[in-house]
Amino acid sequence: MINLLMIFPIIAGILMLLIRHRGFSKFLLNVYAILHFIISSSLVFNIVNEPQGSYFAIDGVNKIFLIILSFVFLMVTIYNNGYSKHINASNKKMNHYFIMITAFVFAMTGAILSTDLGIAWILVEGTTLTSAYLIYFNRTKSSIEAAWKYVFICSIGIALAFIGIIFLNISSDLNTLNFAQLLENTSGGEFNTFWLKLSFVFILFGFGTKMGLAPAHFWLPDAHSESPSPISALLSATLLNSAYLVILRVFNILCAAGDSFYGRIMLLIMGFLSLFVTAVFLYHIKNYKRMLAYSSIENMGILSIGTALLGAAHYAVILHLIGHSLAKASFFLTSGNVLELYETKRIKQVSGLMSVDKKTGWLWILSLLGICAFPTSILFISEFLIIKTMISDGHYLMCILFALLLTVILYGMAKVVLKMTFGTLSEEKQEIIKENRNKITVSMYIPQVIMLTVVFILGIYIPPVLNEIIKAAAGFLG
Amino acid sequence: MENGFVILFGLSMLYLSATSRIISHIRILIIQGILLFLICLLGYKNTPLLDIAFLIIETLAVKAIVIPWFLYKILKKTNTNRDDEANIPHFYCLVISSMVLLAGFLASNCMTGMKNIAPLYFGISASVIVISLWLITIKHKIVSNVIEFITMENGIFLLSLSVASEMPVLVNLGVLLDVFIAVYILGLFVREINKEFKDLEVSHLSELKDYE
Repeated sequence: MINLLMIFPIIAGILMLLIRHRGFSKFLLNVYAILHFIISSSLVFNIVNEPQGSYFAIDGVNKIFLIILSFVFLMVTIYNNGYSKHINASNKKMNHYFIMITAFVFAMTGAILSTDLGIAWILVEGTTLTSAYLIYFNRTKSSIEAAWKYVFICSIGIALAFIGIIFLNISSDLNTLNFAQLLENTSGGEFNTFWLKLSFVFILFGFGTKMGLAPAHFWLPDAHSESPSPISALLSATLLNSAYLVILRVFNILCAAGDSFYGRIMLLIMGFLSLFVTAVFLYHIKNYKRMLAYSSIENMGILSIGTALLGAAHYAVILHLIGHSLAKASFFLTSGNVLELYETKRIKQVSGLMSVDKKTGWLWILSLLGICAFPTSILFISEFLIIKTMISDGHYLMCILFALLLTVILYGMAKVVLKMTFGTLSEEKQEIIKENRNKITVSMYIPQVIMLTVVFILGIYIPPVLNEIIKAAAGFLG
Repeated sequence: MENGFVILFGLSMLYLSATSRIISHIRILIIQGILLFLICLLGYKNTPLLDIAFLIIETLAVKAIVIPWFLYKILKKTNTNRDDEANIPHFYCLVISSMVLLAGFLASNCMTGMKNIAPLYFGISASVIVISLWLITIKHKIVSNVIEFITMENGIFLLSLSVASEMPVLVNLGVLLDVFIAVYILGLFVREINKEFKDLEVSHLSELKDYE
């Protein structure tokens, strides 16, 4: 099954290249999304038994990442069907757009499923290269600036991560980069802890660049705000996760080798720095897509902090991962609707969303509630559990700082969203919007509705099957 | 013998930091590619021949031929010649690079006797990476940034050769391929930036920000 998952996009990509027809490429992308979801679900929920492959395999920890990727990809594809209808671009350009989405998802799937650190590195770099075109899709001065920064900063970050991989190789005589083999041999004192710690520093910083952790987050607001909205959703909800998975796996090796103190401190520093940066920049934000991008940095920071803590926080991290991916994808897709209607990303020029388009207005508000951990959003449970762990472990100061920063961020975001949703509109603006209203099709509402429903239901009830998977992934964290 | 090549590789960075003509930077890339090819050729011993042959040929092809040729084409298309407005004068660049390189030598002397590493390779590659990263921050033309990115990748390649337990060949090949594609994409962007902004100054790329 995994082979099919990896081979289909390659064949689909080649067919798209050969046939060069916009409609056909769109159809193949839809087939890929459905196939991806079916195969991933059957792998994750053990409907089929997959033998362990040498380079790609499914295990306890990557199950949850795979199903999130698959679900978000399906939703984004549904949205894309409506969105791409109104893109004013040549047949060739649209064909490239669909090919690059296929390649991008292929690289992310590979990075999540890879059992080998080297292969994961190659594929994470692959995600950078494939998504660069998508960020540059609008061909404007700002999009080229964003794409340039993205490729350059991420490539340097990933290159630094490779130094970490070399150091990991130096730290033991095992001569392997296979995660399972590395983990098996940690207890025997095979590792030189100096090199292992140094390796983690480089890997955290390198993959942390890709994940959007401060202080290496500079590419993220630019890239997320300049790319087309479905791509922003994919970048934020799935790409950041795949980089996080690699960090998680290496952190696990560090913990198993019995020297996780430095790793935890580093994760905490980068996590809190991310929250701080978000709080500072969100306070006076001018562009609503950048606001969502900063919110992604914040949530990656929360994941990083949760990983550094012990006990129930690990369960919370996995819940947070699910909640953030779905709520943020929904938020970004809705921002696509807003952009279609108002033709601007400036917060100042957007108001009265509720009177213009009720459905988009409600989705905008509900996405905010979802991402800001309003009960019954699953993020409420995860953030609550993280705070509870901080208190029960006696980290009171950390807890106060955490709550304070989250409150500032909540204030910043809520202020913007409320300003955009309510208020009045000038007549001139109303004329423009009237023309744009027919651009928004039904398929540009449905994915958000589904994702938000899942986010708010999971806060009340987590099905036992899913709970098992979450527990397995949380157990992996120790 | 390999050690001589490794030292030459380190010294090539001094030339890079002291010149402003971009065409000579590209020549340095060719020299570095050939040096890495020779180091690879002489350094590998007990490994399957086919794997190594493939890797060595790819090193030569990608690092010494394809990438420099591609950059040369971009240079001609964009009519860029010099990058002489670096934040720091060349003389100081040279002094600082020499000091970093010296630190690399000294570090490699301290590391003798360490398990799993070839000290000279390690010291030189670490200093090459540091010099490249530092040069990226002070240069003004984006094409220079690409060149320094490649020298950094070359440094990392040498670092991977310093490890006694070799990287799996598959990983090395993948890395080479990724670097090549990254340079290709960066190159395409350089051309696009040149079209949009009329020249290749880094300072143009500062429109996207949160405060106005």
